[in-house]
Amino acid sequence: MRETTVRRAGLAITLTYALLVGWLYARQPATIAEVTGGLSSAIGAYRIDQKAFDNGLRYFRSDQFVEARAAFERADPARRDARTQFYIGYSYYRQGWGRLYSDDTLYRQGLEAAERAVALGPQQTFTSDDPSERIRTADELRADLESGLRREAADFNPMRMLRERK
Amino acid sequence: MTAALEAIYLPAICLTVFLLGGLRLGAPVPLPPPSLYSLVLAVLLLGVLIQSGALAPGRLLDASRSALENLNGFMLLAALFVAAAQVFSLLTPDDGLPRILFCIYFLVLLLNTWAAAPDRVRVLRSLAVTFGAAFILKFVILAALSEPTAGRLGRVLQLLLEGVTLGALTQNVQHPASGYLAFFTVALFLIALALLPAHASDLSRAQGIVLRDR
Repeated sequence: MRETTVRRAGLAITLTYALLVGWLYARQPATIAEVTGGLSSAIGAYRIDQKAFDNGLRYFRSDQFVEARAAFERADPARRDARTQFYIGYSYYRQGWGRLYSDDTLYRQGLEAAERAVALGPQQTFTSDDPSERIRTADELRADLESGLRREAADFNPMRMLRERK
Repeated sequence: MTAALEAIYLPAICLTVFLLGGLRLGAPVPLPPPSLYSLVLAVLLLGVLIQSGALAPGRLLDASRSALENLNGFMLLAALFVAAAQVFSLLTPDDGLPRILFCIYFLVLLLNTWAAAPDRVRVLRSLAVTFGAAFILKFVILAALSEPTAGRLGRVLQLLLEGVTLGALTQNVQHPASGYLAFFTVALFLIALALLPAHASDLSRAQGIVLRDR
């Protein structure tokens, strides 16, 4: 093989490898599923498991949040789908919601999922097409979760007990 | 040095070292970038390699070479730099007193090597000893001191040690595979250093030694 060909091929291989390594450092994938999902989504080939998502939605609507999240995680193992991440965040919100106080641990996890939904959604936001949901955008979900994590004077208002879960 | 070594193998080895050296198994941030301090150490290491003749930058970047050859050379130097920085990050403990001591250890050893101005073979040997010692200290000794022990006596000794050192010595518990991965990464990096294009006079001197030995 001619030296120039080797050098050209080497440059292409090195640049591709360097881009891959740079991408991994930028994305910080925690699992192999996140690596493969991230790469396939980069070329527009990533698809969620629709059946698992539908199962998750069914559990979510019957207030079985732990089961719902397990199904959503199965549907979107790479965490690349804004809709699934929105529902994961929403399930944490509903599970952590309480009339007197909210569960900070669940809210924090919900906030992480809501942030992912915002980041993954088109134009840095996500809007659910389901009119039955009381929270329909990832921004609204994030704001509610953040508000639940804040300590403020309004937390001691007795009228809070009359509020409804979204 | 062949074109394949310069354009394919060495950059690939260095980028693999950069990737594996940054990998923290089971950590919340699985690929932390190298610290600023390790970038400084990497610059010093490149300086030591150039001074000793273990790395001849003129054989990678030179006006007499074609643009493609210079691009290959530049890619290799850039990959070597990030790999070196990540190896220092890998071998430095994450926090506490050991982190400060390791930072000083690397800085002093590199400056000392620079001042001693050894030849290529001695620099490579010195780096193998430096990295090997740091590996043993971090992944064998410090890991053993920080590991949760099963026995009651072991736990008592660990508590005493933590008390005496005010908790400044113990580190976060590492993934069981971390040490193996670090060993492979450091070995790969040392192989890359040995394969670097050396200064011609150093090579001829090395060949002279071989001939004399025969």
